[in-house]
Amino acid sequence: MDIAIKSKEEDRITLVIEGVDVPFINAIRRICMMEVPTMAIEELGIFKNDSRVFDEVLAHRLGLVPIKTDLESIIPRDECDCDDHCPKCSVTLLLKEKGPKTVYSGDLNSQDAKITPVHDTIPLLKLRGDEEVELEAIAQLGTGLEHAKWQPTTVAAYKYYPEITIDTEKCEACADCASECPRGVLEFDEKENKILVVDPENCSMCKTCVKDCEMEAITVEGRDDKFIFQLESDGSLKPEEVISAACDILAAKSQKIIEFTEGES
Amino acid sequence: MIPVRCLSCGKVVSAYFEEYKKRTDEGEDPKEVLEDLGINKYCCRRMFISHVEVW
Ligand SMILES: [Zn+2]
Ligand SMILES: [Zn+2]
Repeated sequence: MDIAIKSKEEDRITLVIEGVDVPFINAIRRICMMEVPTMAIEELGIFKNDSRVFDEVLAHRLGLVPIKTDLESIIPRDECDCDDHCPKCSVTLLLKEKGPKTVYSGDLNSQDAKITPVHDTIPLLKLRGDEEVELEAIAQLGTGLEHAKWQPTTVAAYKYYPEITIDTEKCEACADCASECPRGVLEFDEKENKILVVDPENCSMCKTCVKDCEMEAITVEGRDDKFIFQLESDGSLKPEEVISAACDILAAKSQKIIEFTEGES
Repeated sequence: MIPVRCLSCGKVVSAYFEEYKKRTDEGEDPKEVLEDLGINKYCCRRMFISHVEVW
């Protein structure tokens, strides 16, 4: 297996992975989406809510606020030995505001300085006049399997690595393909009088160029052992943290199978 | 109020909406503002351009 980073930003990573097959890369993709835990608000005690936003709507908006997660320092609530919740398995966020103002996610007062909302500017509700809101929210670990608010990814996708070949014997350099390509993958080189593949990784395999070529000189195919894998996170975890956590989960599952088969023989 | 996240992909869009609104009201091109804010997918972009703040 050969992995190269194509691009990397704060919340987005693009990898080129060679020497794997579809079931493997799809397993990683699905674990990234559904089984990597993150923090999200799950329980709410609303003491006062004068605003025109219903308690249920407010609860839903709060649940969707992504919260910075440190997988090392916090454990799932159902694995904790406390009775209800404690700082080992949850974080309490307090909100007490008086109008007139718009209440933002940044107004949430976290009891743990490291575990805070990712964004400070998410509008939660608006207070008119001297309306008040007072609530206590409990954030805990969970997975996307249970609710989408715990999904760490907003994009987790792969595509076959495109391979574009131009048969120079058949090509008559009409340049139709280069002008028709919606993604600027092909370019016409006037000096050499031939078509160049300038940006193959950007190809979406729409095959517009294949259809437009009257000489049938172009073929576009995807390699089934090389992939472009893209992952964007909601900010609760870094994209590379999501991938490494997914690999740990897959490894732990495989280990269970190994231990089981060894016990049987 | 704008939904917290994009309805299709789940990216947080609400955090950027006020800046988008302010800058487009001042006459900036919505396309350029969205690109500047890093809203690149069309599912997220329609959340911005189709939202009307009623209260
Ligand atoms: Zn506990
Ligand atoms: Zn979206």
